[in-house]
Parts: sequence; C-alpha cells; structure tokens
Amino acid sequence: MKLPAPPTEKAFPSPLHHPRVATVVGRWLATAVTICFFTGLYSHFLQDTPSWLPIPSRPASLYRVTQGLHVLSGTVAVPLLLAKLWTVYPKLFAKLPWPPTRQALGTLLERASILVLVSAMALELFIGFLNTLQWYPWPFPFRQTHYALAWIIVGALLVHLAVKLPLIRANWRRTAEKVPDSLPPAITGLTRRGLFRTVAGAATLVGITSVGQSAPAFGPVAVLAPRKPNIGPQGLPVNRTAEAAGVTGIDENWRFMIMGPQQLSYTLDELRALPQSRSELPIACVEGWSQGARWEGVRIRDLLELCGASMQSRVRVVSMEKGGFYATSELPPDFAADPLTLLALRLNGGELALDHGFPARIIAPNRPGVLQTKWVHRLEVIS
Amino acid sequence: MKTRIGLAVAGVGLGLWGLWLLLSTLDPPALIRLPIWLGGAVVADDFFLVPLTIGVGWIVARWSARPDRHRAVGAVRTTMLYVGITTLIALPLLLRQGKGVNPTVLPRDYLRDWLLLEATIIAGGVAGYLVQRFTFRRSRASSGDIGGR
Repeated sequence: MKLPAPPTEKAFPSPLHHPRVATVVGRWLATAVTICFFTGLYSHFLQDTPSWLPIPSRPASLYRVTQGLHVLSGTVAVPLLLAKLWTVYPKLFAKLPWPPTRQALGTLLERASILVLVSAMALELFIGFLNTLQWYPWPFPFRQTHYALAWIIVGALLVHLAVKLPLIRANWRRTAEKVPDSLPPAITGLTRRGLFRTVAGAATLVGITSVGQSAPAFGPVAVLAPRKPNIGPQGLPVNRTAEAAGVTGIDENWRFMIMGPQQLSYTLDELRALPQSRSELPIACVEGWSQGARWEGVRIRDLLELCGASMQSRVRVVSMEKGGFYATSELPPDFAADPLTLLALRLNGGELALDHGFPARIIAPNRPGVLQTKWVHRLEVIS
Repeated sequence: MKTRIGLAVAGVGLGLWGLWLLLSTLDPPALIRLPIWLGGAVVADDFFLVPLTIGVGWIVARWSARPDRHRAVGAVRTTMLYVGITTLIALPLLLRQGKGVNPTVLPRDYLRDWLLLEATIIAGGVAGYLVQRFTFRRSRASSGDIGGR
C-alpha cells in the first residue's frame, strides 16, 4: 500500500499564511517572550544573587508584580505561539534545496535554528505552566532546565530575527491584502483583521481567566489558575507544608538563637515580649500566585541592634526544616536592615499557623516566597 | 546587513551560553532525555495541535459554503477556537484535580469551572451571532437594500 504524499507548501490555500500576518503575530509573541524573559531573569537573580548585583528591597511589591507578569506573559504566549505556528505552517513543507549549494546550507542552518526555537519555546511554556501546578512529570530538574532554555530561546529568536529582518521590514506596516473574488470565501473567509482580533481575543481570554491568582480582583474568574490567593490557613496559600518539611512543632526547650557579636537566646514568650512591629507585605511565589497579608513580629534590624551587629550585616536564616534546598536563606544587608523585614510571629491577627512557619518566619519586601524562610530557629550574622 | 550580522552573532552567543548552562547543570541521564522531550514538544505542536486547527478550520470553511451558513461562520469559528485554547490550558488542571501537593494547590472544582467557562464562551458566541444578525437586518432595512446578502 502506498502512503499518501505529504502536503506541499502550496497545499494550504488560506491567504492568511502570509508574512504580514506572521510579522504582526510575531510582534505580539516577541513582546510576551521579552516580558517573560526579563521578569524570569529578575526572579533568577533574586534567588541566585551574583555578588556584583545590588538588588534593592523596595518597592516592596515589585516581585509580586514581576512574577505575576512572568506567569501571565508565559500563559498568554501559548495561544500566540500556536497562532504563529499556524501562520507559518506551510513553510514546514517547503522543499529543501537540492543539490546542496552554499545557499542550501544557509537554508538548512535557518531551519535548524527554527527547530531549536520552536522546540525550546514549546517545552519551556509547557514545563513553566506545569510548574505552577507543582507537577513535574519530566526526568530533568525544572529550575535549571527552565533557566537554560530561556537563554537558548532568546538566542534562537535573535538568529531568527537576523534571518527574517528584510521580510519583517517589508511587512512591518500594512500591506495589500489579497481578496478572493468568488462570493462564499469573500464572506466566509477570515480577513487579516478578523484573524488578529480572534488571536488577540484568545490571548485576552486566557489572560483574564488566569491572572486572578496574582491579581485578587480577578480571583472569582480565575478558572484556569492553579491557585486561589485567599485559600489556605489564615487566608494564605501554602507551598511547602510543615509535614512535607518534616516539622512537627516545638517543645518547651525550644530557643531562638542569634549568633552575632553577642550570642542571644530567646524563648517564644521572650520573643513575644520584645517590641513588636507590623508589616503589610505580600507572599509572592515563583509559581506566580501572590497574596497580601498583615504580619506582626520583631524587626530584623532591631535584633541586629540587640546583638550588637552593624546595620550593614548580611544575615543567614536557618530553619528547622529537614534538608531541602530552602532550609537556609540569606538576607542581603539592604533586606536585613529594611524596617519592613520581620521575624514574624503573627499573621492576619492570629498566631502563625504551623504551615506558615510557626513559631517564627522571615517576611521581607520584594522577595520570592521560597526565600521567606519558615520555622526559623537561628539567625547568623555573617558580616 | 550590519544589524543582521550583529543580531546573528549575539543570538548564537546567547544560545551557546544556554547550552553551556544545560551541560554544566544537568546530569548525563537528564541530558540524554531532554532532547526527547524537546522533540515531543515539536511533535505535539507541528503534528497534532496545528494540523488539528487547520483541519477543523477546513471543515468549518466547507460547512459554511452551504446556503445561509456564511452568516454564522465567524461566530462558529471564534467560539470553537476559544473553546479549544481554553480547554488546552485547562487540561493539566483537570488531570491534576485533587492531586495537588497540598490542599491550597488546585483548590477549585476545575471540572465545574471548565464546563462553566465553555458554556459562557458558547453563550457569548450565540449572543454575538444574534447581535450581528439583528444589526445586519436593521442596516439592510434602513438602506433599503432588499436583494443583498
């Protein structure tokens, strides 16, 4: 039996497989990718801060905004990527030039760069979205792969732009549209403007139904979001529960320690007796969800003063959590000295729930949730 | 030409940096399996999702060639596309419903919400179609154009 022949480039009759359409949809996709890349880079640098990069602790809600944008732009990129692939789909069946010439080599390299771009971007969006559900069905580490693929995508995208630049320039502004002359297609066929509206509508729809996990105003319609910001103990979601972290609570021998110029040790009651401060700060997670909350506890800067450390100190935070990548974190000097940064003992008017880090946790402005270390039992002044 | 060369050089440089990051942070078993997943992503897009869209688009276009269908085709096409894209995104949520690592992950009833969302999209499509018909008739009546389509 003979298999049917694969389609050729000419087998797709729609006039919407056109460079002008590819340019417009490509611009939208590039905008989403750019926002996603830079917000992702920011998040990466907050978690793995290079020594040459000073990151300020204000504005306090900056990370909430950037990470919300990161997940939003990534989610919205899904319909945009599909629309882009649809537009250029006939190119997949373009004949490879034969016999091989210099020009053919160029075409081959270009198609290889597109293969890299499409495969990396599709996988990046897929693993990124599944990460917001905390679902990891693949056999490679999420964070490292997601970060490396981002650079590969941006690189392949720049190569793609270099190759297509003349075509992009020629189609940057509106070009004449071929209108079919027979009646039914004229009425039933989608115009370019119609296609742009539909794609923009799809992207908006996906955005509105998922942004509610970071923007509480859209919470009720966030039917495509894996989080509801007000669900969880004390009205706040949890990423890592006490059970998952192997923390069961404290006994009467529990002491909170500060290792600085002086070593101080406090019982929980003694901590409660220290001057308490209040901060209104969000928990903003790398998975994109965020929720504001009212925290009460002791300022880290007050604790630094009590142990005689300088206000430019870097502080290591040690949790009772068993193992795990985030059992310790570091507060850079700007964050440790910020008057909003607390060793929090209370949340939204009640004692901290065990899943939120009882008896004490760090809450600091402009930081990813994974660095807001829970179940803290020791602070070490490093410098 | 200078711009293009600059872009290409920068692109290759950043891509190689990404490749180096992969090689230096992933262990060999992961590095062997990653290309399989990358290939799978291309297959899912280029040999399933996009052909599916093109196929459905073709069927809708054929369907609309019958008499009097052209008035509804815009609404039908947009509605199907919106149903498709929201279902694609809802799929992982539906598959993982009740399997979140803790009760605050995936806390909604995603099946109910997905059905509601699709019902809303379809209702919106029907409403859009009716509004379009209504305004079309009025504009035709006021212009006195009786014979036009």
